Amino acid sequence: MAQGLNRRQIGVTAAMIESYGELIFEISHNKQSRRGDPIRELDFDAIAASRHERGMSDGQIAERIGLSEIQVIYIRTMMERRRFHTNHFQRLLDLGGGKRFREERFMPHEERFQYHDDALALRDAMAFDPGRAHHYSEQGWWNNDTLSGLLTRHAAERGDAPALLIQDKTMISYADLWARVDRLAGGLHGLGLGRGDVIAVQLPNVAEYVISYLAIARLGAVMTTLYMPHREREFETLLGHSRARALICLADAGGFPAAQAALSLDLPKLQSVIAIGVPVTGAVPFADLAGTDTGADALGLPQPVAADPMLLLYTSGTTASPKAVPHNSHTMLGNGRLGVGAHQLGPDDVIMSAPPFGHLFGLYALHMSFHIGAANLLLPNFTPPDLAAAIEAGRATALLAAPAHMAACLVMGLFDKHDCSTLKLAILSGSAVPEDMARAASAKLPNCEITQLWGMTETQGGLYCRPGDGIEISATSAGQPAPGAEARIGEDGELQVRGSMLFPGYFDNPDANAAAFTPDGWFRSGDLASQDGNGNFAITGRIKEIINRGGVKYNPREIEDLLDSHPAISQSAIVPMPDKALGERACCFAVSSDPEIELDMLCDYLLSHGIAKTKLPEHLVLLDEMPLTPTRKIIKGRLPLPVNIDS
Amino acid sequence: MGEYNVANGTKFDATEAKQTVLDYCLRKGALAAGVADLDALELIAPPGHRPSDIMPKIKSVISLGVGGQTQGAWAVPAKAMGYFGSTETRAYTISYGAAFFIESKYQTPAIYCPPDMDNEKGPRVPLQSLKLHAEVAGIGARSLAGDILLHPEFGYMYFASIFTELELPPDRPMAQNPCPAPSCVSMYRQAGRTPCQKFCPVQCLSGGIDEAGKQAEMHYDMAACAEMSQQYEAVPALLERAMAAEDGQGREEALFDPDNKMLWYKMSVGSGGLLAQCFECMRVCPIATKASLADPIRRSKAKAEA
Repeated sequence: MAQGLNRRQIGVTAAMIESYGELIFEISHNKQSRRGDPIRELDFDAIAASRHERGMSDGQIAERIGLSEIQVIYIRTMMERRRFHTNHFQRLLDLGGGKRFREERFMPHEERFQYHDDALALRDAMAFDPGRAHHYSEQGWWNNDTLSGLLTRHAAERGDAPALLIQDKTMISYADLWARVDRLAGGLHGLGLGRGDVIAVQLPNVAEYVISYLAIARLGAVMTTLYMPHREREFETLLGHSRARALICLADAGGFPAAQAALSLDLPKLQSVIAIGVPVTGAVPFADLAGTDTGADALGLPQPVAADPMLLLYTSGTTASPKAVPHNSHTMLGNGRLGVGAHQLGPDDVIMSAPPFGHLFGLYALHMSFHIGAANLLLPNFTPPDLAAAIEAGRATALLAAPAHMAACLVMGLFDKHDCSTLKLAILSGSAVPEDMARAASAKLPNCEITQLWGMTETQGGLYCRPGDGIEISATSAGQPAPGAEARIGEDGELQVRGSMLFPGYFDNPDANAAAFTPDGWFRSGDLASQDGNGNFAITGRIKEIINRGGVKYNPREIEDLLDSHPAISQSAIVPMPDKALGERACCFAVSSDPEIELDMLCDYLLSHGIAKTKLPEHLVLLDEMPLTPTRKIIKGRLPLPVNIDS
Repeated sequence: MGEYNVANGTKFDATEAKQTVLDYCLRKGALAAGVADLDALELIAPPGHRPSDIMPKIKSVISLGVGGQTQGAWAVPAKAMGYFGSTETRAYTISYGAAFFIESKYQTPAIYCPPDMDNEKGPRVPLQSLKLHAEVAGIGARSLAGDILLHPEFGYMYFASIFTELELPPDRPMAQNPCPAPSCVSMYRQAGRTPCQKFCPVQCLSGGIDEAGKQAEMHYDMAACAEMSQQYEAVPALLERAMAAEDGQGREEALFDPDNKMLWYKMSVGSGGLLAQCFECMRVCPIATKASLADPIRRSKAKAEA
């Protein structure tokens, strides 16, 4: 309407707006030009001649093109509406007070960054119970710590302090690490990678791993990890499920052409393969990105925030196909930050992870060190001699290791051969800790507190012993809940946990989520546990590993522990074997130094140690080696169950 | 012109009356005041927007300017600048008082010229061009910054006008245009753009300077300027977007996202924000910000030195 009249009364049609709209808009006050200074000079001829350039009034336009004035008013107003963009006010928000608009720096809103669908789907998976989220924030268990922020702070406050200690005696300081991360983040950005993108990493525990992880975090991207033994099949499954946009890997991973393998797969989301080492056709050299001139800060890339997803990890579960576990800085870094105090670590510590960084336990070591600005002693590939030598050379004060790592060093007498007296804390996790081994380690390392930690990819460090608990507790239990965590024993003796460190749910796996949580929001760990009178939890087995022999249920853990103590057995595992009559029977898998060993001999051994006949294994399979997770835990799901066994 | 009679038969000297009226304006806070040539205005202003369209027996148009931003105001972030532009109300107050002064002293009709928009033609069309009055009255000259008027001493001012049937001798427009300043000419020679052209957030200004250092061309895309600064335009746009949204979430986002919610706030309080310009062109203008009497601090110093 114009002047209270509608379009029908005015006589304007859509065709008229189309026909005259552009002309009216251009010669109206919306576009004004002036040549010279005719008004100030009162040059009336020039004023009259340039009327249309200065912007004509509606009446003058009407007279010029043969419309009524009200028709011009109506059409001009419609054109102004069509041309109007509501978001231009945003351009002012960063200006003034010394900041000036620069056309070359300004990007129109419609061209600005937006999360792609995959990234939004992952962000959507970060759904926490609102009441719990409120509680965690209120308690300070969740804050705005990010890896990027922590690194920046340490680089500024103690830039010369060692961040990474490498076996060849190289030291990367926090300031140097910041600079390397900044450059690599800039390089990754140049590949078109950014906020919300999933970037996979398959590397040993080398400096490039840490730099890549921090650069991914700096971008606000999400790291997903591949273990070093992973090959094409795992690549295809995990890179596909995670929707990874890039992979950082070795050109040659011990004979496996990782980069080439990734490039050969049909993974439409995978845009870039970044290879460390010899040039690979089709892959981007890591060194080129790491040597980028313009870093993330110079590019003005926004800093991530704690609620952004930062990790998408696949479970090392031994009984199920991989499940994707998303974490953000709230859940992930908070656990490390709270753990630092509980483990009594400080900025002068030298922290070493025996497990790979691709595993959550390895990342836990990094996170703790980044919270306090401590040094990380890198062990690229675990061998017992390398581990002991590195502890001695790097004067490690805290060691995170799997029981198998520790056991191997003990068996080989490496703590006698190397000076490991600097160790003051060892945190054992990844699988059950045999009591005898814990005591033996404590005896060999008298200055070192041997502690246990129970955790999962979903829960991180959920339970652990504290320094000062004493070997009686730490050899027999996983201690008490981490700060911010709660634990309880549910039906059937299952350990259930919740807390600020808990993941929100599996990504893109509603079935797994339905099974993973109790109706009141506790995570079902699948582990069996008991609790002593002081509140310490001991892990006694896995629910799915319970043997149900004709209705008689028992946990094979104690049988396995006993078998492991047999002089001819180095590793054992007992799993249920389908049976037509009893439902299940126990099948024993073992790695033995005696190829002639037989089932009866083992049963006699067990009976001599007071094991009930109903718990004896009924079939024996000897293996050259066990299928192991990166933390040296036996993958029972991959043990080859015998078929056609006569019950 | 000279001595003439007003309604009650009293005789006044026109020149003296003019000085008396202008002195009143300056005494009340105007930095500059002048009388525009009515014939010129009637020729230049388009039909419907001429002084006589409002006041048929008009004889004179008095224009006055008050100080623009303070030094402090130029230092604030752009998003806050919209709240520092209310000094134009001081100009209206003075012109309102001047109209009363003329009527009481000279017994001649006078009005305070309405500064608002023409409600028949929309919010971008003023009833009268206060800018034209001021320019013809010689208290400002058109700049390369979208024809914003500048004064060589007072820089950037807000203007108001008084219409009266009292016949006063007119002033002449300024002999020289202070825009472009020498530094702007120098920048234009080097970079091809003046500060106002370069730093406009929506790049609505362009033009050129001739070899003599004078304005050759000025182009102003008022539509682009309005897209950013005239937020009342956004209200119907986002209502339309809300109505066209496919679902409830889309409607919610259209109406309640923080930016749009700010519009409702501004509507409800009836002030604040930007209703005319964003000031970025003036913030970088050496005349607007650094003219010898452009702000109260400079004026105080000049007064002390004098």
